[in-house]
Amino acid sequence: MRPDLPLLQAESLSREFDLPGGGIFARKRRLEAVSEVSFSIGRQEVLGLVGESGSGKTTIGRMVMRLLPPTRGRILFDGVDLTALSGRALRAQRRRFQMVFQDPYASLNPRMRVREIVEEPLVVHGIEPDSSSRRDRVARLLERVGLSSRDMERLPREFSGGGRQRIGIARAIACGPELLVADEPIASLDLSMGAQIINLFSSLVDTDAMSLLFISHDIPMVRYLSDRVAVLYRGRIVESGPTRDVLDDPRHPYTRLLAEGTLPEAGEAAPSNAGSEPGPTGLCAFLPRCDRALPECRLAPPPRLSEGEVREVLCHLPRGESSWSPVTLLSQGSPSDVPATPSR
Amino acid sequence: MGKEALLRVENLTLSLKTREGEIVPVREVSFSLSKGEAVGLVGESGSGKTLTGLSLLGLFPPGSRIAGGSIFFDGEDLLALPEGRLRTIRGQKVSMVFQEPQSALNPVLTVETQIREIYQSHTPLSGEEISRRILEGLRAAGLPDPLTVSRSYPHQLSGGMRQRVMIAMALALDPLLVIADEPTTALDPTVALQILALLARIRQRSGQSLLFISHDLSHVRRVSDRVLLMYAGRIVEEAPSARFFSLGPRHPYGRALLASRPEGGILTRKEAPLQAIGGQVPPLWDLPPGCSFAPRCSRADALCTSTLPPWNGGEGERVFCHHPDESPLGAPVHAA
Repeated sequence: MRPDLPLLQAESLSREFDLPGGGIFARKRRLEAVSEVSFSIGRQEVLGLVGESGSGKTTIGRMVMRLLPPTRGRILFDGVDLTALSGRALRAQRRRFQMVFQDPYASLNPRMRVREIVEEPLVVHGIEPDSSSRRDRVARLLERVGLSSRDMERLPREFSGGGRQRIGIARAIACGPELLVADEPIASLDLSMGAQIINLFSSLVDTDAMSLLFISHDIPMVRYLSDRVAVLYRGRIVESGPTRDVLDDPRHPYTRLLAEGTLPEAGEAAPSNAGSEPGPTGLCAFLPRCDRALPECRLAPPPRLSEGEVREVLCHLPRGESSWSPVTLLSQGSPSDVPATPSR
Repeated sequence: MGKEALLRVENLTLSLKTREGEIVPVREVSFSLSKGEAVGLVGESGSGKTLTGLSLLGLFPPGSRIAGGSIFFDGEDLLALPEGRLRTIRGQKVSMVFQEPQSALNPVLTVETQIREIYQSHTPLSGEEISRRILEGLRAAGLPDPLTVSRSYPHQLSGGMRQRVMIAMALALDPLLVIADEPTTALDPTVALQILALLARIRQRSGQSLLFISHDLSHVRRVSDRVLLMYAGRIVEEAPSARFFSLGPRHPYGRALLASRPEGGILTRKEAPLQAIGGQVPPLWDLPPGCSFAPRCSRADALCTSTLPPWNGGEGERVFCHHPDESPLGAPVHAA
């Protein structure tokens, strides 16, 4: 364990997908779903990842979980480069980061009893090989997530959405992970269940010292739960920083839209993947929807600016302000003559 | 309610055969809707809000039957009408916008073909006139390039654009009532707000009545003049939006719902846990004898668990509760 490092560091993650179509002679069309995304999550910290569908937030969650390899970039977990690991070495790390899925109906095997679902990771990782102590551990896990040890022999279908999500969380925390990745964990739950599940995540972080990557489009919940927030637009982080700072004083026009929840009666934006193919220009992806665009937005890609090394924004707008200065990243590939050292 | 009632639902009760036996997903539901009025029907899944909405179109799921009540719409008793007449009303006077436009639109037909069908089956208009109206309708639904959209297939459009197409279809025949069932749920937050603004703008311009069915209180607040709150098949509160959201709901369930969201005043997890509602909605085949919310209610006493509550108040502002909460809401609820 390296307490001096953030628990998770994502460095310049990119992920491309092949698009259908293209012939023998035609160049394969590729979609860059995630471009040059960097962030970190500290111990016992909640990072909220917000953005609309197609913004790449689920792709990022899957890359962090090592369910999907990045096309470029690295993921350091407790200082270890996960992207370089495979086989046994990767499996040894896997118990340290676990996922809670959006749809508790689809992510639990309907034929398995609650006990089997929750103990499966314990068996896979060889924790508690003794079956009676494993049973005790499952009972404690169920109680930890607000279920009862009497629920052990029940089937998922006997539970409401909220109950199933608790089972999914019990499975995720079974091996005592340090990081949870939760992708829209309350989006498919009933209104009165959402608060119970969010409270459970809070206590896993604040009492059990877990870290959480909370992927959501529910801005009020992100504001409530997250210590820091990263806003994604078309595969890039356009703004990040402490939650309060970012949502109370948004600097990117897109964050402003999300945070204020008010919109000018504008026309519909283009379909969400139309603009995310790597364009020749590299101009700001938000430009077509932006009501505050400057002349330079049409001339040059937006710079990545930072304020006090805690906030970042990918936008021309704050450039003139003295508190904001350019960020240089290792693999940004910008034609800058500043030595390429990571600024964080 | 000075205005003329366009819709009057009285004691509507719907029963449904399920594996667990016969259940009553809609029970003694009464409300009315005036011309030009927007009413929000709020509830969780299983509360009966969608079935209530569908019944206004004369659509009932297989295995269901009307166990009682009546629906008067524009002077006609919908439940007594033959299917042919219902179909006319469904197209011309009442229309519906569904939650998931991708499943409500036909994937193998262009937008134009689908809207044209509506005009062809309900109006004697010429092909040319229909074309003109299709483009006009798409433009009015906030689609800046109606010609391209009309030639597109649903999968070529974004979720927000598809929902705008659905709205254009719902408005094609200038109906008296539009029922929108969770029209913003499948959309991204910024797009959802655009759709809400569109619904409000359309209503202002053409004076339709709107029944807005949603579980999202902040969205209901934005579009509705009046709120109907449902729980376990019953309406449990009716109130003007202004009252419901500023003074607060009088039903403890409505109170608890508002408080369970961070918009209710709690700002971050470091300050306090969210005020979650304990327990869960009772299954419809196993409702408690008294108030359905009693097992989860902080104000419940012996009376609540044994006896159905009375209606407190009159039409337009009433609550189905033994002990309504009359105290004004503590922290101000800001719109999300």
